[in-house]
Order: sequence, then structure tokens, then C-alpha cells
Amino acid sequence: MKTERLTRIVWVNRVLLSHYRRHPLQAIFLLLGLTLGVALWSAVELINGHARTSYADAEQFLGADAHFWIRPTGENAAVSQQDYIRLRRLGFVELYPIIEARLQTREQDWLILLATDFMALPIADAQNNSSETATPFVGDALAFMTPPFQTAVPESLASELGINPGDQLTLTNGQRLPPATLQSRPQQGERLVVDMAAAFEVLNRDNFDYLGVTKLSASREQALRQALPEGLILTRNQQSLDLQELTDSLHIQLAAMGWLAFVVGLFIVFNAVRFSLWMRQATLTTLREMGIGLDDLALAIALEALFWSVLGTLLGGGLGFLLGNLLLPTVSSSLGSLYGAIITPTVTLTARHLLQAAIMTLLGVTVAVAGPIWLSARRSIRQQQHQTLDQQFQPRQLGVQSLSAVALLGLAALYYFQIDSVSDGFVLLALVLFGSALSLPPLLYGAFWLAARSMPASWWRLRWAMRDAFAQLPHLRIAMMALLLALVANLGVSTLVGSFRIAFTDWLTVRMSADVYVQSATLDADALLTQAPLKVQASHARTGLNLRWQDRPTEIRGVNTQAPDMRSLPLALSEPNALSQWAEQGHLRPILANEQVHHLAGVNLGESVSLPTDTGTVDFQVVGFFHDYGNPYYAFYLPKATVSQYWKNAQPMGLAIWLQDTNLQAFEPDLLDAGAEPGDWIDQRQLMSVALQIFERTFAITGALNTLTLGVAGVALFAALMSIHQQRLHQYAHWRALGVNQQEWLLIVGGPLAGMVMVTGLLAIPLGAVLSALLIADINIIAFGWSMPLNWSWHPVANLAILTTLTLILTGLTALWRVQRQLPNALIRLGGTA
Amino acid sequence: MLRFTHLSKGYAQPDGFLPVLNDVSGEVARGESVALLGESGSGKSTLLHLVAGLDVPDHGTMLLNDISLTDASAQTWNRLRREHISLVFQDFHLIPTLNVDDNLKLQARLAGQLDLDFCNQLIERLGLTGLLHGLPGELSGGQQQRVAIARSLAHRPTLVLADEPTGNLDEQTAQDVMTLLIDCVRAANSSLLMVTHSPAMAAYLDRRWHLKAGELHED
Amino acid sequence: MKTAIALFIGLLCTTAVADNEFNLLRSDASGFTQVSPGLELSFPADHLPHPDYRIEWWYLTANLTDEDGQHWGIHWTLFRQSLRPEPDPGGWQSTQAWMAHAALSTPENHVYDERFARGGISQAGVELTAEGRFDAWLDDWQWLGTGTEPLPGTLVFTVSETRVELDLSSQTPWVLQGDNGYSQKAPSGQASAYYSQPHIDIAGQIQHNGNTFQVTGSGWLDREWSSQPLAPSQPGWDWFSLHLSSGDALMVYQLRDTQAPNTLNGIWVTPDGRFSSLSGDQITLSSKGETDVSTRAGTRKMPLRWSIEVPAHKVDIEVSAPRADHWLDTLFPYWEGPVSVTGSHQGKGYMELTGY
Repeated sequence: MKTERLTRIVWVNRVLLSHYRRHPLQAIFLLLGLTLGVALWSAVELINGHARTSYADAEQFLGADAHFWIRPTGENAAVSQQDYIRLRRLGFVELYPIIEARLQTREQDWLILLATDFMALPIADAQNNSSETATPFVGDALAFMTPPFQTAVPESLASELGINPGDQLTLTNGQRLPPATLQSRPQQGERLVVDMAAAFEVLNRDNFDYLGVTKLSASREQALRQALPEGLILTRNQQSLDLQELTDSLHIQLAAMGWLAFVVGLFIVFNAVRFSLWMRQATLTTLREMGIGLDDLALAIALEALFWSVLGTLLGGGLGFLLGNLLLPTVSSSLGSLYGAIITPTVTLTARHLLQAAIMTLLGVTVAVAGPIWLSARRSIRQQQHQTLDQQFQPRQLGVQSLSAVALLGLAALYYFQIDSVSDGFVLLALVLFGSALSLPPLLYGAFWLAARSMPASWWRLRWAMRDAFAQLPHLRIAMMALLLALVANLGVSTLVGSFRIAFTDWLTVRMSADVYVQSATLDADALLTQAPLKVQASHARTGLNLRWQDRPTEIRGVNTQAPDMRSLPLALSEPNALSQWAEQGHLRPILANEQVHHLAGVNLGESVSLPTDTGTVDFQVVGFFHDYGNPYYAFYLPKATVSQYWKNAQPMGLAIWLQDTNLQAFEPDLLDAGAEPGDWIDQRQLMSVALQIFERTFAITGALNTLTLGVAGVALFAALMSIHQQRLHQYAHWRALGVNQQEWLLIVGGPLAGMVMVTGLLAIPLGAVLSALLIADINIIAFGWSMPLNWSWHPVANLAILTTLTLILTGLTALWRVQRQLPNALIRLGGTA
Repeated sequence: MLRFTHLSKGYAQPDGFLPVLNDVSGEVARGESVALLGESGSGKSTLLHLVAGLDVPDHGTMLLNDISLTDASAQTWNRLRREHISLVFQDFHLIPTLNVDDNLKLQARLAGQLDLDFCNQLIERLGLTGLLHGLPGELSGGQQQRVAIARSLAHRPTLVLADEPTGNLDEQTAQDVMTLLIDCVRAANSSLLMVTHSPAMAAYLDRRWHLKAGELHED
Repeated sequence: MKTAIALFIGLLCTTAVADNEFNLLRSDASGFTQVSPGLELSFPADHLPHPDYRIEWWYLTANLTDEDGQHWGIHWTLFRQSLRPEPDPGGWQSTQAWMAHAALSTPENHVYDERFARGGISQAGVELTAEGRFDAWLDDWQWLGTGTEPLPGTLVFTVSETRVELDLSSQTPWVLQGDNGYSQKAPSGQASAYYSQPHIDIAGQIQHNGNTFQVTGSGWLDREWSSQPLAPSQPGWDWFSLHLSSGDALMVYQLRDTQAPNTLNGIWVTPDGRFSSLSGDQITLSSKGETDVSTRAGTRKMPLRWSIEVPAHKVDIEVSAPRADHWLDTLFPYWEGPVSVTGSHQGKGYMELTGY
């Protein structure tokens, strides 16, 4: 009995699938929709998942556990060899030395160099001590420790900078790094690794930046703390947790983009599946006449859905993998620049991802398929026999859509007042987007109905065209919704990025108004300023330290309140005279905070914050919030004197110099004379360009995803158009037989389409504005704490208009071409049976 | 064989109840072919629909080889339509995306009763040999109907129900098709109940019934 | 603590093919000084490292007993290796690399640890302190002599949270192995400079599992350096150091050879320190069966029972390891553990089986 049913189902499936052999385009579009949607979604998932795993890696250093750090404090900038050896000889073998230096090459590339003692580095995963374990380095490890040493360069960095094996990078200070070897260790990211011996030679130093510490039991930790000399402090490695928390928003944003792309892809699928089922209605009816019950049909259709889902998932997964790897370097460098996160450069596809994607696509396809099946179930065979292929105008469906649209938008309005997390924000966006999308078909119908009515009777061609819209709309409405979604998302994000770019650049210009920035351990700042008073217009030496406040890394900066960049500090929110109040330091201990403190920590103007100082917690009153774009941490500014009063450990944090004539070349000798080393300073132009580069990179991903989503929507449109023309071919043949010529045909068929796209486009503009307003005024603030004004530009609108028009023309022409090809046949068959 | 007794069927209309079949009874023996004649609206299609299970009688019973058709479940009807009762329509109802060979073997495959020898016999009798790899869309009306006939008989059903099978064909073709139909039905040892409005076509069958004003008379 | 074991292998193996760790010991001594006959050892200078030679060790084994009569076995070794045959610039670019093993046979189990350090940075080494004391250390494992000699001295180390502090001393002179310290390892000429101190008196304490045990017993120190101690055809050796009930000390070792006959050597040291070398034909050494020993790579069969006959000294004994679980899964894995002596003499000792 079972096999009988099985054979039957197999044959039903063969009958159903034969449809695609004769109409391969439908299969292509179906797969395309699935593949694209899954690809974009899984690319984002892969990137996000990968980044998040890498954060967990922050608990390690080049393969060794790093649960704690031992860092220098106070006057010290480094950990001495003597201290390190002394601790080891006391039995603290969990320690290993680390140098982490930022270097600039002759070619102006900034690189980070890591060094450690590989003989002391406790590899965490050397579970089996057998000699069969792969060496931490591929190749001759001895070369790393033996002059002329070696530099481990990750392949991705090597290809980016054009480094070949054996090349020696030259630094701005003239020193050359050891010959490069292309290999990468865990957590190396895009950094270079050398042995400590090599680092000492190249950097001309003999101490470490800090020490790494593997696991410590509570008693060991206690013992170590007691054994630490003055000037060294043991801190827990919080990086992994911090990174997760800090980057959460970014990842949610990326995920949102991925989901949007998937949904748009599903629209295509929906369309294609529905259409193909409709085209097979006659076949379905015939099968029922031949005794195939609804349960068998449903099962067969479900199997077909499964087939497409699996195929789409595999293709989409593969494509998503490629895409993810393509996009990852950009994401990695943003994450690295913004948060200091180290991400390994390649993504791996896991079964779990594919399974997730498969389930989602299966759900999507099932939803698409469920409607028609349910409808069929309600009809008897006889009713189905009389069902025509033409899709009817269904006022009830429109009514349902309009109601749903209103409901969603209403819900969105209510929800607006409840949002206080990034996820909430995106739920709100989803409600707005889908509410708008659902409102589109009724709007379109209304528009055409109005257009048809208001045209004079003599414009009969146009009126025909308007009424024809009613025939086209059922097929196109889903594609139009997809188009609307993509356009709105595009506009919203473009406006966000555009506004951000303007705000950021303006802010940067004010904040980075100095001509040169110097960070040097050897510079005698006083000497410099007295030596060259004529050249220096103004200077600003800052001090500061990092601590934790509200369980987040926080920067405390001691500033010169009269310095040019402080007098014109861009304030987001402040009390009147905040800048002078703060400079005077009345008994209230006024403090300035970055606006992240306001938006993310919830501190209001005039409230006080309690900061941990050397002598215990001290309260400061916040008199102003300043813009601090790009900073993931909290930051507080205080006059230098105040900072040194409360924090003995405050270090010099660089010197900013305004030159009389902005001739840096002329000034450089003075810098060298005062003790700075080449490479210790950077000029404003460079700094700005690096900052902007980071900015652009961060949003490049969003831009890429956006464009791709628009592409997916374009495909949806194309697919829908192809299917209409396919289906209406006999109608066109009728028209041709009646004497309708090509131009008239184009008007009737193309007119409504152009009208629909125009209405959709026009609707997208205000919705895009609403979306960008939500993004800028709410979500961005909740996510990052950065506020900025909305800067509406018609540029993206123009771009999108051009893109959409091009798509329209392309599809129109292709449609015309296909119809031309198929018309003769259709005309012949018009005559009936031969 | 088919037997129906006291079948009645009517439809609710806005202005009252319209009876279509009024207490009709009849029998079709195995291997017999019966034509069902009547004017438009006389209820002949309705009777056919009742026997095919496409509609439910208000009163009366139907038996097919001692299987009761009245009150039969949907599942039973499906099985009946797969294995015992096949349908031939005026507009052929072929699967447009399958070729002729697959089309004519489809019903038998779905019933799990594919007999290749008999299929080949039918193909020969119906003159379909050269057309096997074409699509229905490429065939003439007569050719398509012949395929439909092959499909309906390939599994040797108990009963073939035909609803104006020559309605879309010109006279010459119709005659050819009718001849072939009867020939093949006999070869399959199936019964045939055919609805038609043409006495000329009806002449090809063994018996003739007339439906008038909801009542059935035999010729 | 887990260490960059594989890295160390990579470092130490200057040969490209490193499928057997002990290849190091077999590899060509090119560039390094070879041990040649006519060696003259002088102390205390020769207690310190010989960087011109590739490999060197300071090797202590001991059998101790605590107040309750429980047995404790000690094995502590400091290995030095020269990475390249150049003068040592010192500092982080030092040519020297160090490795230390500490293994403790406790009444319940066997614990051991392995550590590495580069030379030149004071993390490990063997030197004279500013005050002229013998100092051999790696991290917090330290052998510190009261004077320029290792004995008398103290050895302190921790293994797996067990702390061992031992006072070591000896009344007898240093024993020169082989021919005045020139110890030939293979017919083809591979040799090492080798001297020992077989009569070390030990007293100290072991802090283990929250208890402190006062221990006493005898120890044995081996000092050896070479640039090629094994011939290419020699997979490894079996080495026995035994303290017999008569007060004599007997050392026997066999270098197994795949192509030539095994090299067999030994030495007999009287209680007052007079020693005489034993040549191969004076010793009969045979394995008496194998035992399963579990290692990380699976179970191995190791010969843990042997019979030794030295007719010249009327020795006919059976040497066996009471516990089989003394495999060290270190960078160079080997078996080392306490043994008991029965037969013509009673006694205790240590056995080392390498290259299996």
C-alpha cells in the first residue's frame, strides 16, 4: 500500500515538475529569488557569527590563554625585563611578555606589530604533546628566533600591501623588519608577528608593553597581586565581553540588512511559486479528475517546495559564503579600527547555517504555496474546471490588505514610544516597512481607478491602458512591494549615511583643527615649545587614562581648557556658558562628557556622575555633552589640573600643535631636535583621511548590501513582468489580430507599468524620509549614542530614479522582444485547433 | 457494471428549486456502450457528473460493480477515479507540459496498472505512433482527443465517461474518433457512457438513452 | 603549564625530517665541537655549561623515604641546547635554549612537568652567582650550591603544586665515566663527556596535598655533554643507576643499535668512591619481559624487568620497576622511574628507557 502511494506521488511530482521544463524561466526566477535572498542573508549571518566567535577569541593571545593582563601604571610606560624575570623566578610561569607596537612604513601604511617570547608562550590548545602536533608556525620555527629573524604576515595583509615572502618592510624610522613569511597564527588578524628578539632590535628597546597571563586560581591570583612590584597592575581581560557588548549594535544593523534582503528575495519566490501554481491549475484539475486526491496533491506540492528550498539553500549558501568572504575584510577592518577587534580573515560555512537557511526558505516557500492549496481545497473539481486562468480583481483581498496596512502602521505608531533598544528599533522599522508595503496595492488600484475615471472619453487608448493596469496589477503587486521595500531601505540608509558623513566631516574639521599631532615617549614638549615659539601658534597637551565606568571602558582626558580645539568644542547638549563654567572649576566640579554618556548611560544634563579615582569615588556634575563620533567608549573631559589631582596614573596623551604657517616640513627639524623620533607625529591631513577612510569602510558594507537588495528587487520586477507576458500572450495575439500596433501595445502594456513604478517611487520618497528620520533620530542614538541632524539630499533619489528607469526600460525592451518572437505562434494558435 | 436507481438532483436557484434529474434509473453492463442524448439543459451532463462523483445526488443510489457510489468518501472516489472510472472531455484535458507518450500512460501509472503491451496496442489502433514525442500543443484536435482516449483506456477501467468528446471536432474527424473510441473501448472490455447531443454520434454506440424533462427513457 | 612544545621541536630539530624526536641527538654535529679522547675534566669549571657542545644536561635521580616509610622518587633534569654553532651574543639573541623536567613518584601517583626557556635573559641557566655559588635554574626550579660546586647544595622545585626542597651533599669524589670522562657511545665514534656523582645524601621535605613529609635517601647526579651522543643507527638507550645494599653503586647502560651490536657500558663505584669502568663483555644485560605502559599515544609495551650480571663484582640481580606508570609524555618522551633490585644484592635505583 505504501509503495503504491509513493509511486503515485512520484508521478504526480514528475507531472508537476514537467512544467518547468517547458517554462525554464520560471524555474530560474524561482531559484534566483531563493538564491539571492539566502545568499545575502547568509553572507551577513556568516560575517556576524564569525566576528562574534572572534570576540570570544579575545580571551586568547596568539593561541595562548589571556585571562589577565599585567600592565604598567604611573610613571612607567613599559614592563621591564627584570620585573618579568623576577616574577617568573618566583614561580609565576603563567606570564608571558608582549609588545604591541603601531608602526608606519615608508609607504605610509600603518601596521601593528606583535611580539612575544615563543618559548614562554603557553599554547592553550596543545592538548596532545606529541610531536605530531602541528607546529604553531608552518615551516622552520628556528628562523623566527635566529637572526635575521622572520616576520609572520597574514596572507590577506600581504596581498593588500603587495608583500612577497622574503620582503623586508622598511619603517619610517629607517629600520627594516625581518624578512616576511606568509603565515598566520590564531588571533593574529591583520597584524604582524615577530619574536621578541627581533622586536627589540627593530624597535630599539628592551622592555615589554605588557604581560599576558593564563588562567589563575583565586589563590594564585592573590599571590600574584601581592608579588607585583610598584608600577605594575593585574587586570582582568574583559575584551571579549566588551567587544560583544560594543559591537552588538553594529551586528544587529548588519543582520537587519540581511533579513531585508532575504525578505525581498522571498517576495520573488512568493511571486514565482504562486504564478507557477496558477499556470498549472489546469494540470492540477486534470490530476484531480484522474483521481489524485487533495492530500496527494498537497504532499506533492510540498515535496516540490522542499526541493526548491534545498536547492535554493545550497546555491544561496554557496553564494553567500563567497559574498561573505568578499565583504569580510571590509567589516574586519571597520571592527578593528572602531573597536580594536581582531577578526580572522576567512569565513567558514557550517551545516548549522545551511540548516537555518533551509528552514527559513522552506517556511517562505510553504507560505507561498499554502494559499493556493487552501483555496483549491475549498473548491470542488467542478468549480476548478470553471476557474479561468486570468487573475481576477479581488476587492476583498484589497480590503484585507488595506486593513492590515493600517493595522501595522498604527502598531508602529504605538510601538514608537516604547522602543529603547536596537532590536526594538528594527522591529519598528519592520512594522513601518511592511505596513507601507501592504498599503501599496490599494494605493495603486486607487490611483489607476482615479486616472481611468478622470480621463476624457476620447483618450480611449489611455483609458484602456489604465484599465489594463487592473489586469497587470495582481501579477505585479508583489514585485512592486518588493521594489518599494528596496527603494525605501535604500533611501533611508543613503540619507543616514549622507547625514552622518556631513556631521562627521564637520565635526572632524573642528576637532582636528590642529596641524600636527605628536605622540612620543621621548619628546621634551616644553623644550619644543620654547625653542620654536614663532612657529607654534598654539599647542594642546592632553593627559588621561582609561578606566571602567558603568562596566564599560571609559576614557578620562585632562585637557587644556583654553586650547583652540577646546574653546570650540562641538557640543551636542549643554548648559549656557558650559565651556567657561567648566574651565573655571567651581566647587561643583563640572565635567564634560561625550554624548554617548547621555544617550547610552542615561545621564542627563546637570546630573552628577560618580567616577572611581585614586581616593575613592568622586562626584562630578555634567555641564555639557560633546559630540564624539566613532568612539565606542564613554569619555569625560576635565581640566588637566583636576585630572592630576584625582588620578596619579594619568599619562601624557599626545600633543596637538597649531602652526603659524602650516608648513610641517619646516617644523619637522624642531620636532626631531626636541627628541621626537620619525614616525611619532602625524599631520592633520593624514589624520583626517584615515578617519574618513574608516568611516567610508564601515558604511561600504551597508552600501553594498543596499545595492544588492535593490538588485534583488529589480530581479523581482523583471521576473514578474516576464510571467505576465507569458501568460497574456494569447491576449496580445487577440489584440494584434484586432489591429493594435506596436506603439499602442507598448502604451497599453508599458503605460500602467510605468505608472505603477512612478507611484511606488513617489511613495518611497516620503517613506524613505521617515525611515531615515527613524534611523538617525532614534536607532542610531540607541545603538551608538551619536546624534546628528538629518540632511536630506535629492542625490540618492535621483540615482534610484535613474536605476529604476533603466530597469524598467530593460525589462520593457526584453518583454517586447520576447513578445515579438512568440507572437506569430500565438497568432496561429488563435485560430483554434489545426 | 454500473447501476443507478431513483437518482434525483436539483439545484437551488434564487427563485426556487430547480429539479434536473427526477427519479432516473438505469444500468450499463460490462462492455456495453451507452449514449446519453438530450437537449441542452436536459440534465445529461448532471447525470454524468453524478456517476463520476463530481456531484452528489439528492436522492437515489449508484452501484459500480457492487461498490456503492452513494455516500462514498472522497478517498473512495479518488481511488475509483484512478482505477475504475476514467473521464474523457470535450476539451481533451491533456497535461500540456508532458509529451504524448507520457500523457497517455499517465492514468495507468497513477493507478499503478501500467500494461505496456496494451498501451502499445492502443497506440497502434489510435494511430499515435509517430506522435509520441510531441507536446499536446502541437497536435490537432483530433489527435489530442485520440491521446485522451488512449489515456482513458490504458488501464482497462470498468467505466469510461465521455462528455461530448467530439464536440470540438469537425465532422470527418469526429467520425474517425468515434470509430476509434468504440473500437478501443471494446478492446479494453470497458463500459462506455457517453453524453452527446448528436444522434449521428450516438449511432456508434450499443444503446441510446434520452433525457427529457428530468426523466430517462431508453431508445 | 603547557608550553610551546612543538615549537621547541621545531627549534631543536635542525634536520628537516623530524619524525622521531631523538633525531636531534643523532644529527650531525657540524659546526659544534666534538668530544674527543684525551679529555681532561677539571672542577668546578666543568660543572658549568659548555656552549661549544650542542647538548648538555644536569641530571638528578633519587630514591627517598619519609618518616612513615613511604617511598618517594625524584627525577630532576636541566637540559641545555646550543641552537647554532656561533659565539653566544647573549640577551634575547642568545644561541642557548633550556628545557627542564621534574618528575615525582609519590606514594599514590606519578606527576611531572616540563618547562622551556630561552637562554641569555636570566630566565634559565647554569652560572656562578655574584657570590660565586653554583646556580642552575629555570624559572623557580633551582639548584643552588653553597659554593662553586653543586654539592653541597639545595634543590627546590614544584611539580603539580607539590613543592620539593632537598639538601644534597656528598662525601665521595666525582666519578669520571668511560675513559677519564670520555664516554664512547657507538663504534663509529659518537661520544660524550660524562661524569657522575653516584653517592648523594639527601635530606629534605616534600609538601604534597597539604601535608609535609620529611624525606631522606640517596641520589645520583649525571653530568653529560656532547655534540652527537647517538649514531644514526641507534634508536635510544636503556640506563640503570643502582644503589646496592652493599653500599656500592652500579651504573649500566646499553645503547641499542639497529646495525651494529649494542654498545654496553657500566661503572662500579665503591662506597668510598673508588670507581672502575665496566666494558661490554663484563656485563650481561637482558630484558625479562614486557609490561603495558599507558601513554598519550596509546599503550606501549616496555621492558620493565631486566636481569644484570656483573661477574667481576659477583652481581647477579634482577631489576624491576614496581610501578609501570612512569612514562613522560614530554617533547622527547621516555620512561624514567624507580626500580627495585633483588637477587645477589638488594637495593634501589632508577631506570631510564629512551627511544621506544
